[in-house]
Amino acid sequence: MDKLILNIIHRPEMVPEYAEKVTGHGKEEDISRESLLTESLDIFKTQQEIAHKHGLKTTIQMTYASLFNDEAVSLAKEHHEKYGDEISLTLLGLPCEEFRKKYKTKDFCIWMFSMEDKKAIVKDVFEKFYERFGFYPESTGSYYIDAELTNYIKEEYPSIKCAVATCWEEGPKAYRTCNNSWYTIFDGGPWNPWIPSKQNTHAPAKDESEDSGIVAIPHLSRDLMACFDGNGSNFGTHPQNVLRGMIYDTEKWEYPYLYNLIDQYRHLAKYNRGYAYNMMFVGPGWMNKMGRWEAPYELLLKSYEDGMAYYAKLKEEGALEEMTMSEFADHYRKTHTYEQPECALWKDILYGSDKQYFWYVDPYMRTCLDMNQGGAMIDLRPYVAKLERPVGIGTKYVQDASYPFLIQANYRAGYFTHYAGEGTVKSLKVSYKGEEVDLCLCRTKAKYSEEGTKHIVKLDPVTIEFSDLEIDIVSTFVFEEGSSQIKVIREITRTTNPEAVVEFNEYMTACYGTTEYPEDMTNVILSVENDKEKQEIKYNYKCREAELENAKDVTAIVPEIETVVKIIPKDENVTGYYREGYAFSPMFTLGLKKEIKGKGEMTTWLNLQKAN
Amino acid sequence: MAQSTKGKLNYRCPSCFMRDLDIDMFYDKEKKEYYCLRCCYRGSEEDVLQKNEMARFRYGNISKRIKEFD
Repeated sequence: MDKLILNIIHRPEMVPEYAEKVTGHGKEEDISRESLLTESLDIFKTQQEIAHKHGLKTTIQMTYASLFNDEAVSLAKEHHEKYGDEISLTLLGLPCEEFRKKYKTKDFCIWMFSMEDKKAIVKDVFEKFYERFGFYPESTGSYYIDAELTNYIKEEYPSIKCAVATCWEEGPKAYRTCNNSWYTIFDGGPWNPWIPSKQNTHAPAKDESEDSGIVAIPHLSRDLMACFDGNGSNFGTHPQNVLRGMIYDTEKWEYPYLYNLIDQYRHLAKYNRGYAYNMMFVGPGWMNKMGRWEAPYELLLKSYEDGMAYYAKLKEEGALEEMTMSEFADHYRKTHTYEQPECALWKDILYGSDKQYFWYVDPYMRTCLDMNQGGAMIDLRPYVAKLERPVGIGTKYVQDASYPFLIQANYRAGYFTHYAGEGTVKSLKVSYKGEEVDLCLCRTKAKYSEEGTKHIVKLDPVTIEFSDLEIDIVSTFVFEEGSSQIKVIREITRTTNPEAVVEFNEYMTACYGTTEYPEDMTNVILSVENDKEKQEIKYNYKCREAELENAKDVTAIVPEIETVVKIIPKDENVTGYYREGYAFSPMFTLGLKKEIKGKGEMTTWLNLQKAN
Repeated sequence: MAQSTKGKLNYRCPSCFMRDLDIDMFYDKEKKEYYCLRCCYRGSEEDVLQKNEMARFRYGNISKRIKEFD
């Protein structure tokens, strides 16, 4: 198994987020306060000192504001010489007097500016960097960088090869947690580094023609279970995030969860051909002298010290190698192919539930299976569409940079709904003599294996109890690189009556969107087809349905996200159906049904294509 | 009655925290209590700290060092 690769990033942010709002309470806003600038630089120095003390090199992401500060520039140069730190440039930390005078705005998130302003700011910031250092940076970043901006940066500054490009699952959940006032809305991306496509930052490139030219890294390494249903800013490799989540012992000031999280990321090497990655990037505002999130400064500091000390310990043991961002980009390019997916069989390490998810991302999709619901698919993002969805002022989506889902079982209900309707999920229903059981109610576990380019998730058997029949079912999911589809095998491995005939109904209930709220479904087209005929409707909330025997496939076309989704059977004697939803249940369902006697099986494929 | 101020450690509302909302509370020095602008929680520092401990109930593994991830 290879070493855990670590990126440590620090930024001298002269006006740290939170600092002016929090420590400046009761004073008129003044982002040029001497005390604020001094404290900000002091925090950066402290962070650098801690990393170096532990023998770890960093990437120093200079902010625009810091480029006007001689001491910050001088420190960066000194640390580059002495410790091998990379001098990089972030598009975070724009606020400063110079910026506000020039751009006459308090906006500070680069992806939200108009394209015209984005270009002007990039030019300004990069040229200022050159003026101070005499070279252009090799890495950059923000909380999110949209594809149009990446393409522009790469064109103007080809030296850029790495960028912090998203925060995993920082979307409506983070917005809500911040009292609906923190507009980092970008769910739906990869959790570990990837090569973004030119069309959409979240969606990895499938080949050179789609390659944006950079390696993207996520902002922090986040808990793949806790963040799916909770605030992203509580559960990541960011010690003060863990404090914010109150995941520590208040008496002893201990936080085993932080180390468990790092170790689970190390464990992901098992599913990724030996490769494992971590990123720590703590902005200075989080180590405020005034304390934050009920934690005094001493605890904020201790948690950062402890986090670094743990990484240093791993390094000493030969289990970790830290790299700068540009070094990592080179390493990633050498060791990864475009089609190579990122896989994560993730275990709950926080709540004690024993739950398990399987996350998968490749250039065609991102998806998640929940073993606590019999392997039900609870998230599906059709990257195959490579949806071009510009964000920022002047576009349709000023703030919402999420990659749309077809399934998101928390935002748009999964198996459980209140009183009526259906939620988005993909699962199997089993029927026998008028009784019906959904595998969503069968809790199980999964094992992962690999056969060449196939990534296989096989679930432990679940038992279905009918009044006079008991059967065991094993579900297997095969993700084949480059196929843009998932093969799903449902097999009866035990039956108490070999003559009994049960019906399998492999179904998917879906919609589209980026938030909890429904979208207009009237452009969706549903169809089912066999060799002789095709039934098709345009969605109109009329609760219509149709089915055909010997179906070739069932299909939904979702024009708004340029996606075609199909469920395709292996066998001929399968009945396909679609179901339109209605206003109180604005979903659609596609399904395939097959009768199975004894120990039979049913194989289907979930296939994703780009809609023309 | 004078205006409220931020507390010494930016205590968040424990009631809102339990519904995944981070909202700093303000301190009423006359009543010697923190209060939430959004919900109806108010309480002394001692009460806030006690409720914050309660909020940790969901973290079943908060003290556990995990070594096995399969």
